[in-house]
Amino acid sequence: MGNLKLQNLTRGAKIRIGLLILTLILPFFPFVTDYMLHIAILIFLYMILALGLNIVPGFNGLLDLGYVGFYGIGAYTSGLLTYHFGLSYWVIIPLAFINGAFWGILLGAPTLRLTGDYFAIVTFGFSELVVLFLTNEIWLTRGPLGLPGIDVVSIDLTLFGGPKWEFVGELPYYYLAIVMVLVTVFVMYRIQDSRLGRAWFAIRDDEVAAVSCGINLLGYKVIAFAISAAFGAVGGSFFARWVTFLSPDMFKFWESFLILCMIVLGGMGNIWGVMIGALVLVSLSEVLRELLPLLGLPVGVRFLAFGLIMVLMMRYRPAGMMPIPAVAAKMRAGRVKRKKVKATVSMKQ
Amino acid sequence: MTPILEIKKLYKSFGGLLALNNISFNINRGEIIGLVGPNGAGKTTLFNCVAGIERPTEGQILFANRGRTISISGKKPEAVTALGIARTFQNIRLFDNLTVVDNVKIGRHCRTRSLFFGAVIRNKFQQAEEKEIAESANQFLEFAGLKGRGEEIASSMPYGDQRRLEIARALATEPCLLMLDEPAAGMNPQESRDLMDLIRRIRNKGITVLLIEHDMKVVMGVCERVVVINHGEWLAEGEPQDVQNNPKVIEAYLGTGAAGAA
Repeated sequence: MGNLKLQNLTRGAKIRIGLLILTLILPFFPFVTDYMLHIAILIFLYMILALGLNIVPGFNGLLDLGYVGFYGIGAYTSGLLTYHFGLSYWVIIPLAFINGAFWGILLGAPTLRLTGDYFAIVTFGFSELVVLFLTNEIWLTRGPLGLPGIDVVSIDLTLFGGPKWEFVGELPYYYLAIVMVLVTVFVMYRIQDSRLGRAWFAIRDDEVAAVSCGINLLGYKVIAFAISAAFGAVGGSFFARWVTFLSPDMFKFWESFLILCMIVLGGMGNIWGVMIGALVLVSLSEVLRELLPLLGLPVGVRFLAFGLIMVLMMRYRPAGMMPIPAVAAKMRAGRVKRKKVKATVSMKQ
Repeated sequence: MTPILEIKKLYKSFGGLLALNNISFNINRGEIIGLVGPNGAGKTTLFNCVAGIERPTEGQILFANRGRTISISGKKPEAVTALGIARTFQNIRLFDNLTVVDNVKIGRHCRTRSLFFGAVIRNKFQQAEEKEIAESANQFLEFAGLKGRGEEIASSMPYGDQRRLEIARALATEPCLLMLDEPAAGMNPQESRDLMDLIRRIRNKGITVLLIEHDMKVVMGVCERVVVINHGEWLAEGEPQDVQNNPKVIEAYLGTGAAGAA
């Protein structure tokens, strides 16, 4: 353990540490504006969401179109607990995690017996249900009026006689988001290299062989769905305290689809690929938002651009930009069968 | 010898098709027993019924382990594996995108316990368990003749090695009864001989082996007893030589008239 001499590290590890340091000092470059920090935070948020979603299609091979439902649940959990009870964000993170997992189990336990597209449709229905609930249960969520004036995150040390420090501007959120991404990545790597992760990969690759190894399919799928939902909810809890305003139309189906695109684009099942997918799609979205009006096109055209990218990816690189090692090896050997790679996004909305 | 598995009056129908029709036989502890029959005789269906993948329409399957006899007909496949019955598949079913050693590690699943918190926190228990999993996985690979190949991707291995890996994965579940579904299919004579040697070594570890096989050289070479089924019905049972000369068996394989000619 504790052996952290630079020359002992592999090339990959050096690149990672380099990228991390670069990310940490990024805000101090003179050309970096608040707007850029805002986009960076958005990228980090989507990295958390994409890593969370990745568990279901990437690790378990199940198509989940309703991820944004858990994101919304987490956001409103955070928003309402702050609005009504003034809870600290540090208390809210575990509560959002638990609430997300709770709804994940509640939805997953009865429906994960379904296979393939049937399950995808159930998740899609669930996310629509969440939006309808948030819109219509005005007594709880204020409905379409939205939930304004959510407190910002603060570090309150007054209990111990210390100062209270409120997060103002983008900079503190930038670092908070980095910490949350790091924790998420850490958890994902640990799971990937554990008995739980192997059981998921077994389910993804061959369900019949998996049960023959003693893996309870339903049980492990429910665990996967719950953990995935929990990370979605944690992402939502951050979102609520960062933008300090929530409204139901922030959690439309489009968001689920966007996060799924990130995973497919980056490389399903690959932690780094998924993060790169989030980076590419969020920045592309912003670039197009600036670029399209200059070309005389409405901003909505960027959705078409995303569709085009996905079509081209499916045609030329169905396993994503950074496929999981086995698929990459097969592609190098020129033996990859296009149909064998799970092209879940061919599911049109 | 006491039976480890008793199959009693087993029926399995798929709609109108009676795939298993009143099958009864015993498997004794520590023997290598072959299950043969022409294509479509119901051999794989019988396997699936024992392994819990299919639910028998009627009849009983009794499994004796650790001094207890339990009925396993209708039990879920993961429960059957946990009780100590492992299997391989006719068309190899490996976890294609994982490494060889991970495939075997997954076989250790039902003998280990860590879950989410163990994975994230890596407490003492989980670390000890992971160490045990890695060590035993390598032992099973070595036993199956795949030493030092753990980091290869499972689907990129040659066919014969994939068969061995499947057996290693099945052994990793620590079975008392190992069921092999056509393990020699597609193997060349040398690979078949190695396989027979492997099967004998498995038996010498005290594991009972039930074998479906079409390759008669393998059946004759390794099995101590053979059960023949045809059209879902029990046809004959006995030592390989006797069964081979049984007119009813010859008829089933070659058709009427052939029995007289032989």
